[in-house]
Amino acid sequence: MSPLVQNDVTVGSAPRAAKPIDPVFRQIRDLVYNVSGIYQLEEKIHLLAEACIRRMKDLGVSTPRDYWDRLTADSGREGELRSLLNEITIGETCLFRSQPQLDALRKVILPEFLGQETKQMSKRLRLWSAGCSTGEEAYTLAMSMLEESGELLKGWQVEIVATDLNDRSIETAQAGTYGDYALRNTSEVFKRKYFVPADGKQLQVRPEVKRLVTFSRLNLKDDSEISSMTGVDVIFCCNVLIYFDGPSKSRVVEHFFNNLNFGGYFFLGMSESLFRLNDEFHLVHFPGTVGYWKPSPKRGKP
Amino acid sequence: MSASLNSSIRDRVARIKITPAIPAVLFPLLRLFDVPAEQADMDEIVRLVSYDNAIAAQCLRVAGSPLFGLTRPPQSISSAVVSLGLNRVKSIVVTCCMGQAFPAKRWALPPVVFWRHSLGCAMVCRRFSEKLANADGEKAYVAGLLHDVGFLVNCIAFPDQFAAALKRATKEQIPLDEAERATMGFTHCQTGEILAQQWGLADEIVEVVAHHHDAEYTGKAQALVGIVHLSDLLCRMRGLGYGYYERRKVDMIHDAAWAALAKEHRELDGIDLMRFTFELDEALEDIRNLVSLAFGTGQSEV
Repeated sequence: MSPLVQNDVTVGSAPRAAKPIDPVFRQIRDLVYNVSGIYQLEEKIHLLAEACIRRMKDLGVSTPRDYWDRLTADSGREGELRSLLNEITIGETCLFRSQPQLDALRKVILPEFLGQETKQMSKRLRLWSAGCSTGEEAYTLAMSMLEESGELLKGWQVEIVATDLNDRSIETAQAGTYGDYALRNTSEVFKRKYFVPADGKQLQVRPEVKRLVTFSRLNLKDDSEISSMTGVDVIFCCNVLIYFDGPSKSRVVEHFFNNLNFGGYFFLGMSESLFRLNDEFHLVHFPGTVGYWKPSPKRGKP
Repeated sequence: MSASLNSSIRDRVARIKITPAIPAVLFPLLRLFDVPAEQADMDEIVRLVSYDNAIAAQCLRVAGSPLFGLTRPPQSISSAVVSLGLNRVKSIVVTCCMGQAFPAKRWALPPVVFWRHSLGCAMVCRRFSEKLANADGEKAYVAGLLHDVGFLVNCIAFPDQFAAALKRATKEQIPLDEAERATMGFTHCQTGEILAQQWGLADEIVEVVAHHHDAEYTGKAQALVGIVHLSDLLCRMRGLGYGYYERRKVDMIHDAAWAALAKEHRELDGIDLMRFTFELDEALEDIRNLVSLAFGTGQSEV
């Protein structure tokens, strides 16, 4: 996650590693950004270096330069880049991972929707966690929306659709049982309010949270499956597109544009970027985070 | 603003006193701004800076910040000029003078928060303008550094009203100038403009101070005002604001100031705004360090 939070008072960053970083790792950082859109901040570059070193051990490669050659060689480079991305994003998933995105949703986007006539008539809100893995993001959204159910969203019908390609992930997601690591960002208040004790030291999300979320299998690369998602207000698709090649990524983003209602938003992971993938979305900054906005046709393109 | 209010505000601003030693270095330097580097008298600048040992020593420490391009502090002001160029040294000196000019009392905010915003904005302005052909990065830096000088004016000349405005902005999570208008009837842009004129700052800088919140500004300093306007917004969205959550979204690429800049600078189309944002995140730690170097350690940390 980015070191940024929404206000100055708590801005913080990890101390820099004392050892100088081999410049090849910066080259690898740029390669990863250009191919996947994921950006490792300078202060996290030692994490990238560690991920590379783990890969180098597995491959029996001794120097960063040799590893660079593997990443750029004609044969096997795609597979190796994928393995490296797996190393980089490993263990990132947890509940309440991206607080600035949740703040943007609750403090900026919901009030904006509330001011829209069509939304006022329908009083429906549809969020989509695309590539939901084991459900952490979907439940986080559900809890955040429940927090608004007494005020902003009073009388609204909220639906969270969560999809993934992997059946086993979906099963785990449906169980909704999480351990300490996944709950490391979850406040005690929320733990008490929205979870019940489960086996061992685990906690399980309460039925009223689960009731808001529908999990299903969906292949983002399947045009007909992805087109079936309609009337979505906000899409969250974090650390999923980084594994896609350029053309499939563009196609998915184009679908997302069509899946969204006018005025809807699309969020990527906190270190991901969409540069040059789509010029219909507007890149918009919220405090501490960035989203992509689908303008209504009358506002149109400039 | 009514004429009587205007004159009483002018009177109050005229009575603002800054640390007496400062003008000896700062004002001649700021007036040198419009002189092309090759015509400026290097000896005169070195003499002016060395006039105040404290400032000279501080300038050398600041020159050693990665944000100014050196890895260690230079030995002397003249060697700093040799390795960094005269314009950059001017930026450094202005930075240090600003930190010393205003005593750290009656501040509406912890001074570090204000200086992080100003320095952050200065850095972003320089980097932003470096992406544009023919733009003067150091001029943009000084414009960014001074853009909120009206904030200091308000702290000193209108402390109670301004504290109330800031309180309102924080509570309602609205932009500061909006809260100032609602609470005080005038903004830091107007009071800053008066001070900037009194100080005899270059016209373009006066325009920046007066109009940096006006995306539609079309005056004689349009490009510079636009750069500062956009950089200011980006800083506020990335944790370098006034220390509170601004409940809003910012669409920089569709801002009128961006459009005006893009007319003159086709190269704006090629800017990867997301990566630019990540690079600002990376500079945060350096900006924090620079604030303690340039603005002293005596000021309370938050």
